[in-house]
Parts: sequence; structure tokens; C-alpha cells
Amino acid sequence: MKHLSEEEQIEMYYGDGSEEARKHLKVCQECAAEFAKFKRSLDAIKSEDVPQRGPDYGDFVWQALRPQLIPYEKKTTGWHGWSWWKLATAAAACLALMTAAFIGGRLWEHRSAGPNDVAGGTNAGNAQPQQRVVLVVLTDHLDRTERLLVQLNHADLRDRSESAQLQTEARELLASNRLYRVSANKEGDPALAGALDRLEGVLAEIANDPHLTAADLERVRKDMNTSGILFEVRVLLTRKPNEEGGPKPAKGVSI
Amino acid sequence: MQGNDHSIVRAVLAGDKEAYGALVRAHSAAAFRVAFRITGNEADAEEIVQEAFLRAYQRLEKFEQRSAFGTWVYRIAVNCALSRMGRPEIEAEYRHGEETDAETKTVQLAAQDADPERVLLGREASAAQEMAMQRLTATEKCAFVLRHLEERSMGEIAEALGVAPNAAKQAVFRAVQKLRRELAPLRGNA
Ligand SMILES: [Zn+2]
Repeated sequence: MKHLSEEEQIEMYYGDGSEEARKHLKVCQECAAEFAKFKRSLDAIKSEDVPQRGPDYGDFVWQALRPQLIPYEKKTTGWHGWSWWKLATAAAACLALMTAAFIGGRLWEHRSAGPNDVAGGTNAGNAQPQQRVVLVVLTDHLDRTERLLVQLNHADLRDRSESAQLQTEARELLASNRLYRVSANKEGDPALAGALDRLEGVLAEIANDPHLTAADLERVRKDMNTSGILFEVRVLLTRKPNEEGGPKPAKGVSI
Repeated sequence: MQGNDHSIVRAVLAGDKEAYGALVRAHSAAAFRVAFRITGNEADAEEIVQEAFLRAYQRLEKFEQRSAFGTWVYRIAVNCALSRMGRPEIEAEYRHGEETDAETKTVQLAAQDADPERVLLGREASAAQEMAMQRLTATEKCAFVLRHLEERSMGEIAEALGVAPNAAKQAVFRAVQKLRRELAPLRGNA
């Protein structure tokens, strides 16, 4: 056998090495020396100290999270059926976050804020973490939508349970999309609202057609330029507050 | 513990929102640790923990009872951290590297005169290590943190990153290669 490659050394180091590599290492002095050196270099890479969280940390997280959660209701539908209350729970939680951020008028402000803001970063009352949560929630929404389109692309739409699942996902996305659009509109962001409106059209097509065929899907994709819309929304999300078409900062509000 | 977590999940899904508190309390610390290791930033890590538990709550019906809740929420936290690092405007921040280059050079110069082993243990070395980590892509860094610091298996890493096992393995490889190359001057090529 030839000497161990770097990849094989890495595997050995993490305990995933092949039997062959292990045996070679025992008999080949050259590789053994090389591996010892390799091991030293990796052993030296240590975690920087993780800042200590007190015993109350979990409670602190829970207290911050608690007001954002809406209780689930008892399940009454079958595993396949879509329950509207669940949708309302998820969507309402997103809406609460969105609204909080929009009211701050600073949704699109990223971490460009001055160093003074950093000090408040761990304060539960600070709006900044929530704004970032909102950005993440919206990005997550786009990611899920994109994933759905990809899945639809590869799905066997004659398989009823598969298409039912995808449709469920589409309905879920449609409902949250509606809330995002309404919020964007309310907060005077017509560009984002418009893009979300077009995305809603796509989701509605998928969610509401119980007998979706591959040809339908292709038509939706083409006619509605789905990838163009997704791209547009993503671009809108990266805007700075004073860019054209961005939401106007709320008057007199400073957080 | 795991059985207990499962019964809590069932209670939450049956409408007992308060029960979720026990899950948050039990698993926040691990989520914080991995989030901090990935982002290197305390405030970011705290936000990620919040996000992860919020998302977990929203998707609780999708949680499969055959896996552990702790593993599941840990994975969500990794995902939150990853997507946060992967976003361009944030990526730029993580990499805002120009002014740190001078620092790297100082570290390397100091390293030449000193006992490399000792230097490696020093503060400068950990700064250099941190900078080298920041030069990894978000996926590479995540994969490396999970493998090297969190000692997760390749299978777990692949699942957490949502990629094929081989892609996870390649990400760890690339990270190790880059880190060793970057940190070689510090070791005086020992
Ligand atoms: Zn050899």
C-alpha cells in the first residue's frame, strides 16, 4: 500500500480510518512520523473558551421566548389533513415578530449600527435580536419555497400521498406569505409587498389545485417566472433602510 | 430523559405551552455552546438559541418521536448558525479581514523566535487560529466545529448540514487542510 494521503490521515485522526490504513500506520515508520506531526497540529486547534452561561440561562431563554408562543390545540384531524389552527399558530408567531420589527422601523438595518449598540446585544428588551430573527424567518420562508419548487420538480405527481404532502407545504407557505405581504404593505414597503404578492400567486396555484399535473407545474413556473420572483424578494431583503423602495423609518420611534 | 422529553413534546402539542419551558431549560446550554463555536460571537449565539427554540416550537408537529428532542433542536441551532453565517452581508462581517492581516504577520514573526509549542498555547496563537477559522466558508467552519470541537459523527454532521455524507466529509477535509496550511507558520513547520 502506498503512504497515507492527507485525507486518510484526517480519517485516522477522527477515528474513521480504514483497516488498511491502520495496518499501514503500524508498519510504516515514515507514515507514523508524519501522522504524529499531523496529530500534533490538529490537537493544537482547540475551542476558544465558550463564555459561561449561568444556571439560569435556560430560564432566561424561556422567559424571552414564552410571549411569542401560541399554544397548540388538541389534534382532531388525521395525519394527512391540514389543521388550520396550526397554521395560525406558526403564522401568528411570525406576524408578531414581523410587526415588532416593523414598528421599530429598522427591519432592514443590519449590524451596521455603531459599536454602542453592541453592548445591548444580550438584552432581551433590545429590538435588534428580534429584527434579525425576522430576517431569518423571511429568509427561511424563501428557502422553504425554493425547496418546495425543487421537490415539485422531482415529484411523482401521480403519487397521491406525495402530492398531498407537497400541497400541504404549499398551503402552509401560502398562509405565512399572506401575513408577510400584509405586514409589508402596512409598513409602506410596496416593493416587497409586490414581490410577495407575486410569490403568493405561485403558491396559491400549487396549494389550491388538487389535481396538479407536471404540465400544470411547468406552466406555473414559466408563466409566473418563479425563480425571478424568489430572486427579487431576496434582493429586497438585503436593502438598507434608506434605499429606494425601502420601508420608511417610523417617525419619532427610536429603540 | 429522552422518554421524558417525548412526553413533554406530546403535552405541548396537546396545548400545554408551558411544558415547552422544560425543554428550553434542558437544551439551551448545548445549543448556545455550538452556536457560539460556529459564530464566535456571544450575542449572535444567544439570538441563535432563541431562533432555534422558536422554530422548533413552530415545527413541533414535524418532530419525529424516534429521534431525541435535544439532537433535533441542536440540529436546528446549527442550521440557524449556518444560514446566518452564509448570508452575504453577514459573511462580509465575519471576514472583515484586512486590518487583521497586520496582526497575523506580527504573530508569525513572534513565532519564529519562540518555542513553537509554547506559542501555540499563547493568546496570539488562538487569535491566529480564530482568524484562520474565519477564512473558512460557513459550511467548512460548521463541519469542522461539529467534527473537531463537538465530536459529532460524519453522519450527524451530514444531517445537521442537510448534505450528503460525502459532502460533509469533504467539507471537514477542506477545513482541516486550510487550517493546517494557515497555521503551519506558527508551528515553525514542526
Ligand atoms: Zn507509509
